[in-house]
Amino acid sequence: MVTLEKNIKSVKSVLSSEDILVFEFESEKGKKFAAIYADGLIDKAQLGELVVKPLRVVQKDDDLNAVKSLLASPEIKDGKNIKEAIKEVLGGNAVLFVDGEKDFAVIGVKKPPMRAVAEPPTQIAVHGPREGFIEDIKINLGLIRKRIKNDKLQVKTIFIGERSDTAVSIVYIDGVCPKNLPEKIEKEILANKIDIVPDSSYIANFLAKKPRSLFKQCGTAEKPDVFCAKVCEGRVGIVVDGSPICLTLPYMIVEDFQSVEDYYITSYRATTLRVLRVAAVLIGLLLPALYISAQLFKIQIIPFQLLLKISSSVAGLALSPSVEMFLTLFVLEVLNEASIRMPKYVGLALSVVGALVLGDTAVKAGIISTPAIIIIAFSAICLYTVPSNVETTTTLRWMYLIIAGSIGPFGMILFTAYLITYLVSEQSYGVPLVAPFAPLIRGDLYDSFVKANMYTLKERPKAFKTKDRLRLKKDEN
Amino acid sequence: MKISSRQICFIMIAYTAATKLLMYPTLLSMASGNDLLFSALIDFFIGTAVIWSISFLCSRMDKTFFELIKGTLGEVTARIVFGFFAAFFLLSTLLPIFEQVGYIHNIFYDTVPSLGVFLPFFVFTVYAATKKFTNIGRCADICLPIFAVSILFIFITAFSDVQWDNLMPILKTPALDIFRGAANTAYAFVEPCWLLMFMGHFKYKKGDAAKITLSYALGAATVLLFLAMFYGIYGAVAPSRTYAIARTSLFFPAIEVIGRMDLLVLFVLEIVMLFALVLNIQLAVYALVKCTGYENRMFLSFLVNGALLAITIFCNSFYNNINELFYNWMWIMYIVFVVALPVIAWLFKRRTA
Repeated sequence: MVTLEKNIKSVKSVLSSEDILVFEFESEKGKKFAAIYADGLIDKAQLGELVVKPLRVVQKDDDLNAVKSLLASPEIKDGKNIKEAIKEVLGGNAVLFVDGEKDFAVIGVKKPPMRAVAEPPTQIAVHGPREGFIEDIKINLGLIRKRIKNDKLQVKTIFIGERSDTAVSIVYIDGVCPKNLPEKIEKEILANKIDIVPDSSYIANFLAKKPRSLFKQCGTAEKPDVFCAKVCEGRVGIVVDGSPICLTLPYMIVEDFQSVEDYYITSYRATTLRVLRVAAVLIGLLLPALYISAQLFKIQIIPFQLLLKISSSVAGLALSPSVEMFLTLFVLEVLNEASIRMPKYVGLALSVVGALVLGDTAVKAGIISTPAIIIIAFSAICLYTVPSNVETTTTLRWMYLIIAGSIGPFGMILFTAYLITYLVSEQSYGVPLVAPFAPLIRGDLYDSFVKANMYTLKERPKAFKTKDRLRLKKDEN
Repeated sequence: MKISSRQICFIMIAYTAATKLLMYPTLLSMASGNDLLFSALIDFFIGTAVIWSISFLCSRMDKTFFELIKGTLGEVTARIVFGFFAAFFLLSTLLPIFEQVGYIHNIFYDTVPSLGVFLPFFVFTVYAATKKFTNIGRCADICLPIFAVSILFIFITAFSDVQWDNLMPILKTPALDIFRGAANTAYAFVEPCWLLMFMGHFKYKKGDAAKITLSYALGAATVLLFLAMFYGIYGAVAPSRTYAIARTSLFFPAIEVIGRMDLLVLFVLEIVMLFALVLNIQLAVYALVKCTGYENRMFLSFLVNGALLAITIFCNSFYNNINELFYNWMWIMYIVFVVALPVIAWLFKRRTA
């Protein structure tokens, strides 16, 4: 006969931490029980209502099955060994030991601290759903299942992280996503042995073919409607416990220029906005560098009247154009970094100091010129029209700036040619990163920098090579 | 398959034209005067015929050019021929590189920059030359729209200043000079050799021969229109106007008001010109891989670009001499590699069959 004390001792010998609580209680007839759980991860009220209360009536000689039949919790499973019990306790479930029984019951009363489902700050939509993913994987999977009520939707959960044991769910639609891709992704993730996976960006790194690349190699989605739309197009989605950002693969750069709202508004407006985003990113990337190039090497580009204005602004300036631009960009990056990290009430003061005191005074003191501030400010605004690529574009802006300041326009052209050559060679799980432009996939162009009418986009993107091509059919009758 | 027939078509349109926008119009107007179009037509006519014959050959078999020679004359001969091709592509790159150096120095900079400004080009080419046909094709996918938009801008801004009567009376230039003009500038027509290298590397579909030939003809038409506009604007002084593409939009009224915004278009067009130039280097590396059997493209790319870099540094002051050399003698190479070898390819095909 296995005593209750022995079981508790076995668990506590491994989970000796003070936040692992053992709640011992007994029925009216004297049958002893012990519920072991991690403090703060379970709903204690539920444990009382669904477990402790019903077990009051247990008879002294009732076995585990009889005990289980009395439990009111909808999520109960059997456990066989202590190792399993430890895993469940750490995973946020309660483990119920019954005196005289070797086996135990795992009761799903998990309630880890989490925030409510809310609109993500980087994917705000005027039209369309407002729900966003949160840090809890179960809630996130629920949000997905709520939208795709299809028997072909598959969710495969694996665990990664030697210490964190983080759940990672691979979500795909059978028959729509490219064959063998989910298995390939699972293999890639499991090939990594790591201590802890605090965020999905770690998984994104594991899945990147070139982890040192400057360019993103995984798509991201912070909203279930975006995620589901991508999965329905033929991508594989990856949901990571503890992260509100889900991943999608294969990834194409053009995805980042598509906003969630594009699909909820008219195609004309969506196309205009997409063209605007492309133009804004190009301007944001190149304008500071072009300004330096023009000032240092080819002043002819600048219109005469503008040239007069610029020359009056830069006259008597202590710094060379490139140093001036570096300095201005540096200040912008510092302000940006500080404003994100600082508490909100300090942030306001920071804006005043940054924008008014630093900017205005620097211009009056003749350290930097007004055009430089305007250009850098405009460039910063432009790059934020595609927020998911800001990491890459801001780095590229620095590179362009350095090249323009040292080699001039030809350097910029060479660098662009280099980027093109690099990008067209890259693939994300069999799909070219710059598809549908290179290689040119004519059908997919209708949902690239232009957004065609819904009826034009009847088929899933050809780039994914899915078997089930058709996604929209209109009954003419 | 590494490259698609559509991408070859794009190469034929964009790169054919992009390689002939700098010194070619100047040199041609120097040789043939207002009848420069006829000289160009001769070269394009031969080019179109050869390209049609190669693409038609592709419809009959799916072998690469290397396999074709190997199948008839043996592997050693094939390697030797490809060694010669590597040398030919390198030579074909030489003058355009010097043209680019001059173009960039003169048009992209107000100051007189040192040669050092151009040298990062070789950093790019070392990287680009390691890439295979897939990459070449995809770059062409990107380049065609860039080229189309840029050249359209140039045409629109130049159109109003063209005096078409500058091209009249036609055939004023002696026929011999027209032919000489065609022969002397023939070194710029290496496109059939590109196709020869792509042979067997793309999946031929019905009608591809016509598409490729028509694409080349479209590229040719673009060049012809540009030549006509260039001569139409400058007339008798055209031979003294170097880097033609940078000179055609100069007189557009808006450009004077808003600054030389056309330079921005030229910057964009330069990307296509670079890819067109790099194609020869990429093919030189490909030919060397075939010749030596050594698969390390990075090493071969270093070798090829090292040679080009050395020539660029040491011969930079001798542009005129090199130009003269090419102008007078390169047509022989042209006949051998661009005209004769593709014809011989047909004979090889018959023997293999």
